[in-house]
Amino acid sequence: MIPAKNEVNTIGQIVSEIKELFPITVVVIDDGSNDDTAIVALNAGAIVLPMTFSLGAWGAVQTGLRYAEQYGFKIAITMDADGQHKVDSIPTLLEKFEDKQSDVVIGSYIERGSPSRHLAWSFFRKLSGINLEDLTSGLRAYNHKAIELLSSKAASLLDYQDLGVLLLLHRAKLRIVETPIFISPRINGHSRIFSSWWAVSRYMLYTSILCLAHFKLFK
Amino acid sequence: MSYQLTSSFLGFFIAGIILWLIRRDLLHSRHAIWWLVVAISIVLLGIFPTVVDWLATHLGVHYPPTLIFILGMGFILIKVITIDLHQSDLESKVRRLAQRLAILEAEKNNK
Repeated sequence: MIPAKNEVNTIGQIVSEIKELFPITVVVIDDGSNDDTAIVALNAGAIVLPMTFSLGAWGAVQTGLRYAEQYGFKIAITMDADGQHKVDSIPTLLEKFEDKQSDVVIGSYIERGSPSRHLAWSFFRKLSGINLEDLTSGLRAYNHKAIELLSSKAASLLDYQDLGVLLLLHRAKLRIVETPIFISPRINGHSRIFSSWWAVSRYMLYTSILCLAHFKLFK
Repeated sequence: MSYQLTSSFLGFFIAGIILWLIRRDLLHSRHAIWWLVVAISIVLLGIFPTVVDWLATHLGVHYPPTLIFILGMGFILIKVITIDLHQSDLESKVRRLAQRLAILEAEKNNK
């Protein structure tokens, strides 16, 4: 599952690379792009889900998950469209499912740099009670149980594929594990969350409220 | 007598606007019920403004106008939060519809 918004420069290469290496279905969710993202992805061999209007990162991912649920896929892997995630991380994620001890595998990249960002994440770890290294990674693998839960109505009002999703999984007692991955610098585009100070503050507030709303449910 | 005339006139005027909106089908009937009740209360309070004083003394409120403000603001708060609830419900429905549409469109294209 690759949610893509105006990623015409990278999407084709990612899709064909996956197609070359693995016999899996590639679904690109075109989140209201203005460019040729959808056509390029289609030509590269992906199934394209065209959104009528942009639903944002999580809305697009959920579309893919609903597709997976409808067609009975056992595992869904989500990945960013900007070329950050390497295609060879896919088997690393899948390996973690082998012992059947987990429902969700997160490909986590522990960021160096920016101490303020580290502070923010450790604040959210405390607040949410979820002890994972990388709370926002877009490289995740969900098994059928997780797909079922996340494609439900309960997850429809979330905005990002991050803490809100993790809290929902945590509350449903699904087991989340992490595996370290490497990421390449973004080829194009920029983070949707960290685009400006205003966006960051809004994100911090939104996520804090989300954590507080679920606070009592954790001990 | 004259202030009672003014308040009844105002009451009838506001109620008239609400009824007109309902009649023109500009208000969904679900909201119409709420607004009908509001219209009736405004007319009654307009004709008998002293009801507020009576109620206030029985509730132990020393300055009757505060009662009207508190009740009014309380009802407005309730109304606004119902709008937000309704709005969130609609948002979720619109999102799910868009998702469903995307999946259906993909089915059509990939056949």
